[in-house]
Amino acid sequence: MTRPLAITLNALALYAVAFVLLTAFAGQLLLGELPCPLCLLQRILFAMLAIGPMLNIRHGPRPSHYALSLLAAVVGAVVSGRQILLHILPGDPGYGSALLGYHYYTWAFIGFAVAIVAIAAVLLFDRQFEERTAPPPVSGFAVAAVWLVIVLAALNVISALLECGFGPCADNPVVYELLKR
Amino acid sequence: MEFTALLLATTVTMLAAWFGSRALTLGLFGLTLAACVATYLHHATDVLKLSF
Repeated sequence: MTRPLAITLNALALYAVAFVLLTAFAGQLLLGELPCPLCLLQRILFAMLAIGPMLNIRHGPRPSHYALSLLAAVVGAVVSGRQILLHILPGDPGYGSALLGYHYYTWAFIGFAVAIVAIAAVLLFDRQFEERTAPPPVSGFAVAAVWLVIVLAALNVISALLECGFGPCADNPVVYELLKR
Repeated sequence: MEFTALLLATTVTMLAAWFGSRALTLGLFGLTLAACVATYLHHATDVLKLSF
């Protein structure tokens, strides 16, 4: 795998993270389902998955950059796995509504597991690490992906502030604390 | 509030990844991830209110 191809794949990974964050926002805004504390933690870890690809695009691919995303994916899988186990008893309806038969935290677990496998697969290709020259020129496609994820992360900061206010977040939130009258 | 702070820290780390140095980004990433794990462990040790 050449360095330009690796950078294109990293940009695509950023679009995948943006898709996940947008889907979570759609559930929140269109269905009125506020994210629970564990759901927020999973969103944070999805956003942290994006930091490795950003470094790869900005400074060129390095194994250490992929390692950051791998760490975020492993912690994300643990958090989403715990939420699955919290609702595993027969008769438990789960938290929130289901999307295509699975709850958001189940999709999150699948997403983190796919990320772990994808990162391991990309790490198999050594050629992307051999060309240690100046940082590569960044395409508009990649820059747009970077800014899309940064803007979505910033919107999540505002959303979490509105939802939780300045105290601890509710276990089962139903209203935005800062918009409550 | 802790989740707002974690999201803010993640956004700042992203900006550091894009505009700043690698060392700064790695440091911020490590701090944010450690804070995420601490937050998770704090919630994971809550008593579960099961009703069976």
